[in-house]
Amino acid sequence: MSNALLARLRDEYGAVRDALPDSVIGGERRLEAIEALCAQGLPTTREENWRYANLRVLERARFSPCASPAGMADLPAPLAGFTRFVFLDGVLAMGEPVQHAGLGVRSLRSGAQGPAPSMPQRIPALPEARLALLNEAFATDGAAIRVKREAAVPQIELLFIACAPAQAGASYPRVQLSIEAGARLTLVERHLSAGDAASLVNGALRVDLAEGARLDHYRLQQTSTRTAWFDTVEATLAQDARYSLIAVSPGALAARSTVHIRLAGPGAEVALSAAALGDRQQSLDTYVLSEHLAPRTRTEQIFRGIASGRARVAFNGKIAVRESARGTDSRQSLRGLLAGPEAEIDVRPQLEIYTDEVRCSHGATAGKLDENMLFYLLSRGLEPEVAQRLLKWAFLEDVVSRIELPALRRRIEHELAGQMSELASLKELLR
Amino acid sequence: MLKIDNLHVTVEGKEILKGLTLEVPAGEVHAIMGPNGSGKSTLAHVLAGRPGYEITGGTVTFQGRDLLSLPPEERAREGMFLGFQYPVEIPGVNNVYLLKAAVNAARKHRGLPEVDAFEFLTLVREKMRLMRMEESMLSRGVNEGFSGGEKKRNEVLQMLVLEPCLAVLDETDSGLDIDALKVVANGVNTLRAPQRSLVLVTHYQRLLDYIVPDRVHVLVKGRIVQSGDKTLALELERRGYDWLIGEAA
Ligand SMILES: Nc1ncnc2c1ncn2[C@@H]1O[C@H](COP(=O)(O)OP(=O)(O)OP(=O)(O)O)[C@@H](O)[C@H]1O
Ligand SMILES: [Mg+2]
Repeated sequence: MSNALLARLRDEYGAVRDALPDSVIGGERRLEAIEALCAQGLPTTREENWRYANLRVLERARFSPCASPAGMADLPAPLAGFTRFVFLDGVLAMGEPVQHAGLGVRSLRSGAQGPAPSMPQRIPALPEARLALLNEAFATDGAAIRVKREAAVPQIELLFIACAPAQAGASYPRVQLSIEAGARLTLVERHLSAGDAASLVNGALRVDLAEGARLDHYRLQQTSTRTAWFDTVEATLAQDARYSLIAVSPGALAARSTVHIRLAGPGAEVALSAAALGDRQQSLDTYVLSEHLAPRTRTEQIFRGIASGRARVAFNGKIAVRESARGTDSRQSLRGLLAGPEAEIDVRPQLEIYTDEVRCSHGATAGKLDENMLFYLLSRGLEPEVAQRLLKWAFLEDVVSRIELPALRRRIEHELAGQMSELASLKELLR
Repeated sequence: MLKIDNLHVTVEGKEILKGLTLEVPAGEVHAIMGPNGSGKSTLAHVLAGRPGYEITGGTVTFQGRDLLSLPPEERAREGMFLGFQYPVEIPGVNNVYLLKAAVNAARKHRGLPEVDAFEFLTLVREKMRLMRMEESMLSRGVNEGFSGGEKKRNEVLQMLVLEPCLAVLDETDSGLDIDALKVVANGVNTLRAPQRSLVLVTHYQRLLDYIVPDRVHVLVKGRIVQSGDKTLALELERRGYDWLIGEAA
């Protein structure tokens, strides 16, 4: 990490600091963030858990936020039953604030809607999660969501659309989500691009689940294949809270997602299923840490990654069981599929256990398409290209089948599978 | 229909088929028997176009065309079907989807439009009843978690739906219980037709009680060493292969 780069980062911050909205993040907190980041330096691929990320874009990056775009991008069809909020380059562009007893959703920027939501405490910065600091320093807006116990489970869709090219500055999508005791939320979060914009995005998402709270979270990263997309999720789960995260990432030129989940209360549970599909020059990297801090906590991690063309796909799933976390149960199933002679795939399970009385099982494999399966399909007359697509599709099923919202699952199936979509219609016919 | 002439095949540097000659005319059912490791599955795979086999000599003509020059998927679309000795499990690929994709691939090849989904399912259900298969198997992954016998029935189901000109069934009778054997034989028999040929690879003469062959061949050490009518199978049942292995050496 060059000092020149950090100096430039500081300068850029200094130049825009007065223009950054206080209502989103206070000036002092921003300054702390930039100092903390500069003290650590920006991540480099010399660090073990950043090895597979494509970080070159950071060296050339313009960190200051791009100007909010005027006008509206093309939006995908709405999801029935979901309340939609659209953010262009991280700034709210569409969606009325919700403010009633059970649910509050608002833009962080709009100070007119009453007092700003309290800023979540900073989690001691994990080196893997330090790009969240960059977001904290520069964020221009974001969504604040608060859910209280209510009869109906709220369904919210957040669309983040990257518009500006990286030369015009970065965008900083931000979500602060807290779910109170016993409450529940279904959240769909999609990241898209306006056309084939080559943007730089650095998102941060904070999730706090109180006792018995439950979050069903679907994340789709479908930005243009010219975009550099960085992202940090930090979630804290209290007793018996349950977090289900399903992430599907076919987009971006260079993507790195860091997910840090703290199972802080007894009985808390996280199920993370991620699928990444890289082709051509794409580089898709994910780092997940499940930190077990309390007894009887559970983690399930499933990863399915496919690297075609010259793509590089990596998943690094770490499970850390602290001394206080007796009775932890963790399961990992990480699988990579190498679908091109020049592609690269890395799946890496890591276990760090400081207590007895735990059950941890993990499996990690990386391999090519099964020749026997392929020949079986060809022997039935299928085009080689179709046969391969079908097998890739089947490989992802472990993740896609977990999407419990039929409309969303169908949409993802269509988007991932293209022509394979008739598969979905046949399935329905059979029911 | 099928004409194999002096076929030599090598796998990983080892010659497995050593000058195999066999002709199956249209409308006939031929059985191939022979000891373990004699090259029966190798022959079946080579006919279907599986990679990994080196053809070092000989020719194979299928309906007047040079079969060996066609890629596997084209052989299938031209009406060749291989019933696998060990059908592959493909979790995540729907059974019915594969069937439909296979039917449509063949139709496209013949310049026909795709099948109507409803008519297709009606046809598949009818064939499933014939094979005494549970309908729930349709929505499962291809052979996923199927028992040995269920896999074999699924192979025959695919054959019935695809209606090939030439079917090579590699030990489709192995692993079937007595009733299932009759079901499978019955299914196969419904396909017998003047323009269609069948090659049955089997170890058991019992199958040939139900599907009566026109010819029986014995494959030993990569060559057909004996051919005869259906009584040859009975003779093999009585005498084993030893008397023929001597001749092959
Ligand atoms: N990939 C391979 N590498 C090396 N040897 C092989 C390979 N495939 C087949 N063989 C050998 O070729 C020979 C013929 O095998 P094949 O499967 O054709 O026999 P088969 O007649 O079908 O036997 P069975 O009755 O047991 O099914 C065997 O000796 C087998 O070990
Ligand atoms: Mg065999």
